[in-house]
Amino acid sequence: MADIGDLTAKIQMLSGVYAAQLPEKIAQIEQLWQQIPPERWDEEGFQTLHRRVHSLTGSGKTFGFAALSDLARVIEYDLSLLMQVKVPPNQAQRTHLEGLISELHQVILDPTASQPDHSGVIAIMPPIQEAIKIRHILIVDDDISFAENLSNQLRYFGYDTRVFNTLSEFIQAINQNTEVLVIMDISFPGDTWGGVTTMQQVQQGQKNPMPVIFLSAQDDFNARLEAVRAGSIAYFNKALNVSRLLDKLDELTSIQVNTPYRVLIVDDSPTLTAYYTAILKQAGVHSYSVNDPLTMMEPLLEFEPDLILIDMYMPGCNGMELAKVIRQIDKFVSIPIVFLSGEKDLDKQLAAIDLGGDDFLTKPIQPQHLVTSVTSRIRRSLMLRSFMVRDSLTGLLNHTAIKDQLDREVARSKRQGTPCCFAMIDIDFFKKVNDTYGHAAGDRVIKSLSRLLKQRLREVDAVGRYGGEEFAVILSDTNSATAIKVLDKIREDFSRLNHFADKTEFSVTFSCGVADVLNFNDATRLCNAADKALYQAKHHGRNQVVGAHPELPPSLAPKIG
Amino acid sequence: MNAPLTRILYVEDEPDIQMIARLALETLGGFTLEVCSSGKEALAKITAFQPQLILLDVMMPGMDGPTTLSKLRELPAFSTTPTIFMTAKVQPGEVMGYKQIGAVDVIPKPFDPMTLSNQVLEIWAHCHG
Repeated sequence: MADIGDLTAKIQMLSGVYAAQLPEKIAQIEQLWQQIPPERWDEEGFQTLHRRVHSLTGSGKTFGFAALSDLARVIEYDLSLLMQVKVPPNQAQRTHLEGLISELHQVILDPTASQPDHSGVIAIMPPIQEAIKIRHILIVDDDISFAENLSNQLRYFGYDTRVFNTLSEFIQAINQNTEVLVIMDISFPGDTWGGVTTMQQVQQGQKNPMPVIFLSAQDDFNARLEAVRAGSIAYFNKALNVSRLLDKLDELTSIQVNTPYRVLIVDDSPTLTAYYTAILKQAGVHSYSVNDPLTMMEPLLEFEPDLILIDMYMPGCNGMELAKVIRQIDKFVSIPIVFLSGEKDLDKQLAAIDLGGDDFLTKPIQPQHLVTSVTSRIRRSLMLRSFMVRDSLTGLLNHTAIKDQLDREVARSKRQGTPCCFAMIDIDFFKKVNDTYGHAAGDRVIKSLSRLLKQRLREVDAVGRYGGEEFAVILSDTNSATAIKVLDKIREDFSRLNHFADKTEFSVTFSCGVADVLNFNDATRLCNAADKALYQAKHHGRNQVVGAHPELPPSLAPKIG
Repeated sequence: MNAPLTRILYVEDEPDIQMIARLALETLGGFTLEVCSSGKEALAKITAFQPQLILLDVMMPGMDGPTTLSKLRELPAFSTTPTIFMTAKVQPGEVMGYKQIGAVDVIPKPFDPMTLSNQVLEIWAHCHG
């Protein structure tokens, strides 16, 4: 069995060679077409032309140019009709064919442009979509105070921004910046479409179009259309709802290049496991193969798959038995299991599903079918799992999940002798926000605090929504002095955020209590201590962060609501 | 089932398709391949190579696939060697036509290099099943 990765590389290299020859092949076809005399039937000319086009039909898709194959097939068919009647094409037919032939150039520029049919084509998959990397956000708007304000708001959420108040400043700066996202006003003084035309010019010089978000005071279709033509990925009206803009930015930047999905393949045929591995690898899925079902226990526990593919018929232990074994391990009670089999008998398939399988793929398996079936199941299963532990409004861990996490972190911290802080955060006068601005505005405040916490804390820290307007944060390997410093900075920035409700702006603060596991050595005591410190923060005038002291007298401990 | 499939005679006039099919069949499929660029070359090489299966492009300049097949069939040693046509034109009626002139099956072009050898193996299993 050949090394699949090596093979893929070779196929890609051949595709590259093929792609490099395409312009010349197409030029030859154009030349052949032009050499055909309009007034008489040229049998030999048409035969040569037909053969050249036919060769594109038969090869394009193999090398990843599906659209080329499709278009060539259309041309080939038209040519074959002409060749049946052996009459020179009339003017209309000539124009039609000429149009199609000139389109050949277009489809090779963007091989992925039209792929109506993916079936069976997996050899050259388009690259997996990655999150946009944004190093700087360039804000271009002639309204100086608006631009400055927007810049500040985005900075609170950890984005690095630069402001330009004229188009010429922006154009000068653009070439020195990579990994930028542009937020561009559509209209500038004396130039109603200045933002759009400037962006169109800038985009022309770019290898990859620059992501751009347009802002406009007008919301008409023309403006939106022009924006799209200039490469816009989003369009917002002024007055700008910053929280929506942030949602968009988060969405763009944090299509987290998630850890790849993991699939355990159990099939006694090494050829087939290698084949499935190759297919899944092309789709960015990691897999681990087991050829002897009796040895699958260790890889199962160590590889921690998101999904298991099991061959139905194997020596030693069949797929159904294997599924039962897996289902009896607590950790894998809900893992998706997909059977592979030549079985077309529906009754047997149902029996297999009854025994713990989630799906049944019938061999021979179409590559695209395998990929779709596997990734969609994993996505759904991970989403379900996240519903169980995530708060629906904020996406933060829910009350139960954050408490579970705290138990684990406290245990780990005690084992390793490292510090670990637990913080309780409560939004000040939140009831008043809801009463004055409405619940929708209140929800947005909660979302903006959760976003701020997620952005400003480290990946290893856990953030949870503890209840209504109450949040909990676990900062692992952090002492209370550092934790207080970090949280106090977040408090300060949060208090500067502008929130919007209808046409009014308002700001909100929070109070926070922090406790370190070194002083309170179990989860319950740690929670209580953070809670008491939070009470103190409220008691001392709110909008502050207070660290819990181990000697805090019990008299100061009444709970606050 | 007979001996496993190892030796394939492959007739195709286009060099780039030859290369990718070689990868698909030799590297991925593990077959031993003799590649010929024309029907004439196939006739000249077949006796020395002794293929178990023939893969034949339909549309080639000079001698096309069906003509090549009929010439190959005239050689007593290869009068029954399973032959698969490869073609970019696959209307259902045409497949029947190719089968009538002695092909065991038709593989449509453009083919997927990742699955080509499996397709060939399936057809092989089928005509020995």
